[in-house]
Amino acid sequence: MESSLNEFRSEVRSWLNENLSGEFAHLIGMGGPGREHELVGERLEWERRLGSGGWIGLGWPEADGGRGLSWEHQVIFYSEYARAGGPGRVGHIGEQLLGPTLLAHGTPEQKARFLPGILNGTEMWCQGYSEPDAGSDLANVRTRAGLRDGQWHIDGQKVWTSLAHHADWCFVIARTEPGSSRHKGLSYLLVPMKQDGIEVRPIVQLTGTSEFNEVFFDDAVTDSSHVVGEPGEGWKVAMGTLAVERGVSTFGQQLGFQREFDAVLAAARENGAIDDPAVSARLTDAWTGLRVLRYTAEGTLGAADPGGAANIAKLLWANWHRDLGELAVDVLGPDATVADPGYDLSDEQRLFLFTRADTIYGGSNEIQRNVIAERLLGLPRGR
Amino acid sequence: MDFSGLTDTPEQAELRTAVRGFLASAPENPWKRLTGELGLTALAVPESLGGADATLAEVMVAVEETGRVLAPVPYLPTALAAAILAEAGVEDFVPGLADGTLTAALALGPGVTTFSGDADGGKLSGTVRNVLDGPEADVFLVRVAGALVAVRAADAAVTPVETLDQTRGQALVRFTGAPAVRVGDGDFADRAEGLLWTALAAESAAAAAQCLSRCVEYLKTRVQFGRPIGEFQALKHRCADLAAELESAWMTAHAAVRAALSDPEEFAIAAPLAKRYCADAFFRAAAEMIQLHGGIGFTWEHDAHRYLKRAKSTQLLHGTPAELRTLIARRAGLLPA
Repeated sequence: MESSLNEFRSEVRSWLNENLSGEFAHLIGMGGPGREHELVGERLEWERRLGSGGWIGLGWPEADGGRGLSWEHQVIFYSEYARAGGPGRVGHIGEQLLGPTLLAHGTPEQKARFLPGILNGTEMWCQGYSEPDAGSDLANVRTRAGLRDGQWHIDGQKVWTSLAHHADWCFVIARTEPGSSRHKGLSYLLVPMKQDGIEVRPIVQLTGTSEFNEVFFDDAVTDSSHVVGEPGEGWKVAMGTLAVERGVSTFGQQLGFQREFDAVLAAARENGAIDDPAVSARLTDAWTGLRVLRYTAEGTLGAADPGGAANIAKLLWANWHRDLGELAVDVLGPDATVADPGYDLSDEQRLFLFTRADTIYGGSNEIQRNVIAERLLGLPRGR
Repeated sequence: MDFSGLTDTPEQAELRTAVRGFLASAPENPWKRLTGELGLTALAVPESLGGADATLAEVMVAVEETGRVLAPVPYLPTALAAAILAEAGVEDFVPGLADGTLTAALALGPGVTTFSGDADGGKLSGTVRNVLDGPEADVFLVRVAGALVAVRAADAAVTPVETLDQTRGQALVRFTGAPAVRVGDGDFADRAEGLLWTALAAESAAAAAQCLSRCVEYLKTRVQFGRPIGEFQALKHRCADLAAELESAWMTAHAAVRAALSDPEEFAIAAPLAKRYCADAFFRAAAEMIQLHGGIGFTWEHDAHRYLKRAKSTQLLHGTPAELRTLIARRAGLLPA
């Protein structure tokens, strides 16, 4: 096992060495959180390169086109990818969210139609869950869909949709049973993005850039067969997706965090901020916090019963990352208050601003706390 | 709250169940039975010296379970001393510590001790304060410049002191030319200190988890405004934050345990980091235990104050949070060594 892992690590390393070079060399370090808008065209090319190298769907069953590799192998891949400065993935929504959902709930026809596009890096996906009135209260879905003439017709609005303008497809939760409420009567539909009935409008965030979009559905259509699970059972399918919104990619994420921390530390050394005991204390605490995140991820990944671990992990890393963003600008002092012309922000400013999103998306801190309190600790639900 | 399912091997889970069940039965003469019947101080001692040939990881399971309920037994220092002496290949005292007829205390912090002697032994002089479980100990492991030595309590002047935390006694220990056995060099003394930090971390993580469990039980049953107060989000969220901190504390303590067994370089960081992180988490858990219990938590009768005092004392002994932060910064290369 050990030797196979070591072999795998050198395989990953040498592939990244050879391929993250030449035409792709300038992608190193690009497109991470808060920088999703950078070089999207080139990163789409990069997805295809990854796909042709067999680096997408590492843990998927071989029968479905994956490589059937263990989580230890996947941890190695994500760690090496991060270490090499691999660019932010454009295909992760398909690979990490839709793919596992289809593997669990899709028909053989759906798998045959959609998995190859994800594995080859040729079809991009976006997620149509949140709505203006369905944020933390995700079940309050208003987008509706009806079956007419062999097609689903969809009307409504989704929001906070990452990469919608680059996606070929969207997985959408829509209300397909008129008059139903909450978790009932929802269906999980796969909808092509390139059609007249869909309009994508970027949301300008507090960073001045746009990672997220609003998506408007005005009699958008998709084939009647493009429903995952039974019609009306979409909530169950969608919850499966949320459950996989974490996993082995955590380790790659933490290496990214380490790089960000190292940059803050270097800045503090360069401008002398580290000589202030209050600053050096905060740096040490941030370093310690990152170690603790790593220990916690290592401990929960291999364990048999990670009940509630996903919610705890989200809460811990989101808070840690937000605090690092604050430390980054505090270390710079007055320099952090000035931007380059055109509101071109520094890495530290971007980190500071974008990490405000970490404690909100993917289940806000408050929702995570509710889930931990009720499911893990068994405290009673409020009336 | 119990995070042990995330870390225990099947054998460790069995050991944990046995120790927990035994302590819950409110046994008479617990020390005698923990050592004799259950053989807990012999866990990390080789069979040839009367031990069970297990590892420090099993000792930590017992440290956690005795710590969880603040059992008034000198388990932590005695089991650790037995393991440390056995690891050093020093046979003195080991059989007695392993069968529980002797107890130990660890005087590893900065003292004012001087040691003159060689590998065969020597004389120890000086004073060490705040020696946990010192009043009853038969053997002291003492850190001196460049060495770790063992001394019989009969050769020292031991003065019990009144303590804020009444769950664990302390002594002021004076050595005046006391005969001392050399256990190891300065590096070995560092390792012994790392093991003590690790044990205090594990004990703290377990006691903190107990604080949270007690809070959760109380919030489910205490009724105000016509409903169990656990329905109130303000209280739920505090428990959830605590659960997140305590799970990560548990994992951090166990990372130190793993490093103690297999990775000396990592251990140099993980041990002080775990002690600081887990003791801080324990203190927050104990403080929350009082607040979430309201008035009853402020009474002498309720045992929340015992956890609070134990947590604060653990935080402040064997490296305060501030001292350990500086140490970690140096060892991690954040600040010049």
